[in-house]
Formats: sequence, C-alpha cells, structure tokens
Amino acid sequence: MNDYCLIYEKTDAAKYISHLDFVRVMGRMLRRASLPAAYSEGFNPHPLMVFALPLPVGYTSGCELMELRLAEEIPAAEVESRLRTAAPAGINVLSVREGKSRMKRLRYALYRVTPERMPASAEGFLARREIVVEKKTKSGVKDTDIRADIIGISLAGGHIDMTLSAGSDRNLKPDVVMRAMNKYIDGYDSGDCEYHRAAIYDDGMEEIK
Amino acid sequence: MSTVNIDRLLKRVQKPTRYCGGELNSVVKDPASVKIRYAFAFPDTYEVGMSHLGIKILYHCLNLRPDVYCERVFAPWIDMEEEMRREGVELFSIETRTPIREFDFLGVTLQYEMSYTNILNMLDLAGIPLRSRDRGEDCPFVNAGGPCAYNPEPLADIFDFFTMGEGEEVIGELMDAYNEWKAEGGKRIDYLKKIAKIEGIYVPYLYDVEYNGDGTLKSMTPNCPEAKPRVRKRIIEKLDEVAFPDKFIVPFMDIVHDRVSLEVFRGCIRGCRFCQAGMIYRPVREKSPDRLVRDAVSLIGSTGYEELSLSSLSTSDYTRFAELADRLLEFTEKEKVSLSLPSLRVDNFGLGLMERVQKVRKSGLTFAPEAGSQRMRNVINKNVTEDDLMHSVGLAFDGGWITVKLYFMIGLPYETDDDIAGIARLAEKVVERYYSSEKTNKRRAPSVNISVAGFVPKPFTPFQWAEQNSPDTLRRKQRLLKDEIHNRHIKYSYHQSDVSVLEGVFARGDRRLGDVLVRAFELGCKLDGWSECFDMEKWRRAFLDCGVDMDFYTRERGADELFPWDFVDVGVTKEFLAAENERASRAETTPNCRQKCSNCGAAALCEGGRCSVYTEESSLNAVRKMREQ
Repeated sequence: MNDYCLIYEKTDAAKYISHLDFVRVMGRMLRRASLPAAYSEGFNPHPLMVFALPLPVGYTSGCELMELRLAEEIPAAEVESRLRTAAPAGINVLSVREGKSRMKRLRYALYRVTPERMPASAEGFLARREIVVEKKTKSGVKDTDIRADIIGISLAGGHIDMTLSAGSDRNLKPDVVMRAMNKYIDGYDSGDCEYHRAAIYDDGMEEIK
Repeated sequence: MSTVNIDRLLKRVQKPTRYCGGELNSVVKDPASVKIRYAFAFPDTYEVGMSHLGIKILYHCLNLRPDVYCERVFAPWIDMEEEMRREGVELFSIETRTPIREFDFLGVTLQYEMSYTNILNMLDLAGIPLRSRDRGEDCPFVNAGGPCAYNPEPLADIFDFFTMGEGEEVIGELMDAYNEWKAEGGKRIDYLKKIAKIEGIYVPYLYDVEYNGDGTLKSMTPNCPEAKPRVRKRIIEKLDEVAFPDKFIVPFMDIVHDRVSLEVFRGCIRGCRFCQAGMIYRPVREKSPDRLVRDAVSLIGSTGYEELSLSSLSTSDYTRFAELADRLLEFTEKEKVSLSLPSLRVDNFGLGLMERVQKVRKSGLTFAPEAGSQRMRNVINKNVTEDDLMHSVGLAFDGGWITVKLYFMIGLPYETDDDIAGIARLAEKVVERYYSSEKTNKRRAPSVNISVAGFVPKPFTPFQWAEQNSPDTLRRKQRLLKDEIHNRHIKYSYHQSDVSVLEGVFARGDRRLGDVLVRAFELGCKLDGWSECFDMEKWRRAFLDCGVDMDFYTRERGADELFPWDFVDVGVTKEFLAAENERASRAETTPNCRQKCSNCGAAALCEGGRCSVYTEESSLNAVRKMREQ
C-alpha cells in the first residue's frame, strides 16, 4: 500500500475553511498535483484521506497531520514537492513521509491562545477542583466539568499556552477553556482571541510529527 | 487607498469563507501599479455569484490588462451585514478588502429581477448614493450588464450606464475611454457622453421619456447628440478567438455550481416562444471541439476540479456533439473527472451517452416538456412530441433510472384548462411507461416529480404582449392540476406565485419603477430571491407608497404599444416577434434555425449581415435527423 503521512500548516485565509470543505480542498490539491489518489469503493468514490484531528473554523495550526493513500508508488520527496506547488495560499506542506502515522494514539494537543488582554495569573484557576462550563454536545447544551482535560496552562509574553485532551475519546477546545477563565478569574475579560494549534501528542506525551 | 479590517467580523459569521478571499487562482496585483480599479459585483451571495460563468470571463478579460485590477464583491448574508453595519465597516472587495467607494468602476451583472434590491443594499453598504443623479465626481461609475439589462428601464435611475450584449470586447473599449478621459481631465458627465457613442452602451441620463395619458410610453428621445436613438447589442462573432479563462478561482466553500463549466455555444436554434434567452443571444455561434478540449484540459489542471460541465441553452444541439462528447470523455475517464451534460433535449440524446456520462451515479434525470398538451407545446413552439418524451423516458427507465423530473409552466398565453389537465395526463403516462416495460424492476417504484412554474412574460419574446396571470388565477390553476393527479408515484411541486408577479413587473417595467425599488429597499426588502427573506407585504406597501399599480405591468399589452425596451436592438426584430405571437395564437410551429431561416433579424449583427446558422447542409442534416427518429 502506498501510504503517506502529511504534516502541514493552516494559516491566513485557509484558517476559515471548515473541516468538511477542507476535505474537498485537499482532493482538488491532489488532482492539481497530478497525484493519483486511491479511491474508496461504493457509490460516491472519494480519495482515501484520514485527518488526525479536525481543526475548528478560525484556528490556525502548525501541526496538521493527515494520512493519504495513492494509487501508485511515488517517492515521498516527489509527493512533497508536487503538493507544495499545488497548495493554495495558507496551506503549507511541511513534510511528507512514507508509511502510517501514530495518529490512532493521539491523546493531547498544545494550543497557543492570543487574547486581547492577558490574565494576571492562571494559578488560582488551575487550583480549582472543578471547572464547570456549558458545553455543546450532541444532545444539547449541558454543564460539564473540564478540569480533568486541562493538562497544563502557562502564560508567556502575551500568549496563553495550554495542553488539553484531544482525540476521539476526550477532546477539549481552547475556546471553551477561555470561556471558563473569563468566568472563574475575577474581573478577567480576555476580549477576542486568536487560536493556534502548536503540537499534538500521543498517550506517552511524545509529540506526533 | 485604504483597506477594511474584517478579522473580528469573520470570527462571528456563519460562513467566513464567503468573505475571506485568498482562494486559489484569485488575481493578486499591486493596486498602486494599475490605473483603473474595477469592482465586479454579483448582487447575491458568494456561493451564487461564484457559480456564474460570466463573472469569470470578464474578471479574466479585465485582469489580462496590466493597467486594470478587477476584484470581486458579493452581497453579504444577513449575519455579515449586521456585523458590518454595527462596526461601521463599508462594503469591500474580496481580493484586497478595499472599500468599494474607492474604486473607479462598480460593474453589476443583472441575472435575475429579484436581485435588484440587493444592488441597492450593496450601494448603501458601500456608502455610494443609490441614484445616479446624486453621485459626485469622486464616486465610481456604477454600471450593469447581463440578460436583465436588455430592459434596463426599471434601473434607469440607479445606474450610470448599461452595456447591452456580450462584454468581452466592449469592456476593453470602456477602459480605453476611461484612460483617455482621465488624460483629458473631464468631468463625470464627459465620460458618460464619451461612452454613449460606443456601440452597446446606454446612458439613461441622456434620454428623456414621455408617457401617454393611459400610462403607456409615448416616446423616448436622446437629449444630446452623443446618445444614439437605438442601442445595438454587442456580440462576439468568433468565439474561438475571444479570451476565455485558463484558470477558474477555486472557492474554499461549497458553491452552487462547483465545477469547471465550458461554454459550448451562445444562442439557440430553437425559438421557444416563452424563452428570452433563446431570442436575446441569437445568432447561434459555436466554439470548436479543439478549443473546448484544450480549455477542459487546462482548467481541470489548474483547478483540480472533479467535475466538468458543458454549458449552453441546449447542449445536444451542438453540431459536433458526438465528437466533442467522445473526446471529452476520453480525457475525463482517464482523469477520474465526471462530465455532466445539462440542457439535453428530450428529442435527441442516446442512452449510450447517458450511461457513459452518468457511469457513477444514477441520479434523477430531468426533462422539460414545458406544457402538457401537444396543442400547447405547439403554441410555445417547444417542438417536442409526446412520443419523443415517452421514448426518452422509456430509455431512462429501461436503463435503470427510476426518478425522473418533468418541468412545466402554467399561465401561458392561449392556455385552456384542458391544457393544464394535460400535464397530469402526461405524468400518468410516464408512470405507465415504467410499469408496461419488461425491462424495468417492478419491485422498485418509479418516482415522477413534476415541477410547475408560473409563466412570466419577458421582453424580446413573442409573448412580450401577453397578460401575466394573477396569483389568484395561478392558484386556481395549481389546484386544478392537483385535483387531476390521482397517482401516488407522481410528486407535484410549484413555485411561489407572489415572486413571479414581481419578476414580471420588473421584467416588463419602465422608469417609474425606480422609486418603488428604492422604497422597497427602505422598507427592508433584500435577498428577495431567498424565500426566507422575501416579504410580499413590504413590496405591496412600496407600490402603494409610490402610487404605482402592479396590474399596469402585468396586463396584456396593445399591439401597437411602444415598449420601454424597444430602443434596444437585440437583432431579433419586433416584427418577427409579433409574427411569432400570431402563429402561437393559431398553435402553429416555426422550424428551428437549421431547418429553415425565419428571418428573425439577428443576421444583421454579423459581419456582412449574414448569419451562418442556416445553410443548405444544415437543412439537409436536419431532414436526415428527423428521418432517423
């Protein structure tokens, strides 16, 4: 099987592409790159692509990971250079290598949040035993305790870096954490925030890249 | 020069990729390096506007010039408009986020009457005065083209000028004239007078209009020597030689027609009497298969699109259709691109082709018999017989399709109740055709969807004199048809009739509708083409406030009446249209352009006054084709 792992950045206008639209954007990128994707069987064949962790609309990322299967064996370096040429602005291919990734073991992600105003400290916030916010689930809005999914938060030079649970089992988005910080930290008003995914990790806290 | 900051707004709206720009193949230029900045507007949302082929062609033509930078602008959806008004952000261009007010031109394409209020809303958001006469020297020239521009009068107060016909050449002439005018240092009115001399350009301000006591038009006269008494539409005679984009912008979001679209030919040989497009785009001019295949290859390569579609008014009327389909399929099958062929006629396509085209998905097939009885199909000159339809539907059913969609119109001139009942009878016969065939799978049930629209009389058609049915009459006819349908395999749907009335009023309207339009906008009308936004009550109020009667515009027109659009020369003459209307009243058909030339007048637009559609060979081919069937 001609499997490849692709790591790419998503910035600028591309950050507004929804996950669903992004799948189509990638399909077209492959065709422009003259890379023959392997197609699924069935009524609506689609190129075989698997994304590690969907990126919310409006987020930038420096560590997007996808797996791709091609119908032919083409050297990874060749795939990489062709994809780079075919990519639209805002999608920057960082690396392509052959084989499968460890995406199934993905458990955590590191986000860099840039708010309009920084909190004085996150210590009191992190010391709480419970952090309850309204979270949208499939069955509606309900109060959820997110404390266990916050692995760590650090403040540095105008940014809030946070390591959070990520993946299909447990997943916490940093905008939810920001909502909680606005709620629990006395007098804190972050204003609008920029969100950037900086890294993803496996169950042993080893970076997947 | 300035730009707007919309990053905060984009975080709060539903579909930010409508506004964010940066799409693949969008044109990037340094605004400081050009002499002319042109904002091309489609007065509906991004996903509708980006589906339109004309905008892609003219965007390409303008940007080929080093002295021009053409950018796009669309109507913002309600959520974005709210944010823009709240934050005081002016309407901006997609490419560089420059306020539209700072452009030299704002060109609007008029595809649909119900987009007119969007134009006003966009002008308002841009901070540009709604009426031409209120615009100052520093405003962009606000101009329009497209099919609805052939009756520009309801928008005469709004636009500074209109372009009649195909834009590829004339848009360059307008740019050249702008450069000259700038060099001469003239006033705004000097530019308008200068371009009034260009063929195809209409400057409403340069004409005076008088009305008779009964409200009909008495005269329309130029009030300066530059303006022509008649404005002749522009055509491109040799389509192979005119610029066509080698790249399409690839949107990030899913748009309405998200594919490569190739224009196979312009015009139509058929002459259906209700169809405006069939008249205003005459004469027929084709592109060569060589050119089309070349365009297909380069566009698929530059966009990565997974679908290629052929666009025209009646694709199977392309003279070298089999050759083109073969050559395109050879390419698309290899590249795993799907080929779609809309606008095939009921009477001339084969199953083999259909199967190759729809190899993957057996989605529904659509046919447009337009009328239920043969008499009525003769009235509208839709030269399709019941046998033709049964033959094609039969092929489809036998080939494994179980869903067919049939398009009809009601409220047509010379229509009787029996003609309407004929729609139900025809649909039932289609269902019967499924069950009477030995080749269909009887364990599956066929689904025959009939979609019925109310007829809207349009300028430059043989039915331009016809009365438009009132919503009450249409509702009665809709009920009548519903009562005639007794088969559970037939699904029946019809269009909202209030919208059709307004469409008809503006289609055959005059200058007095300008005030109504502005009033409707003030009352909050916008995005009228979207059923969730359309509000007939506001429109009624606007007509009332302006003392304008809708019935005046939907009435049957007098034989000798001067129409607001008569000053436009589309090639096809009023005499020809009147003769066609006469034939319609007797349910007589007219042969298509290849069978016999009926002297419609469009030949006058061609070099030497000769149109090449009808030849001895074309008539022989037409006869041969008929014998084969």
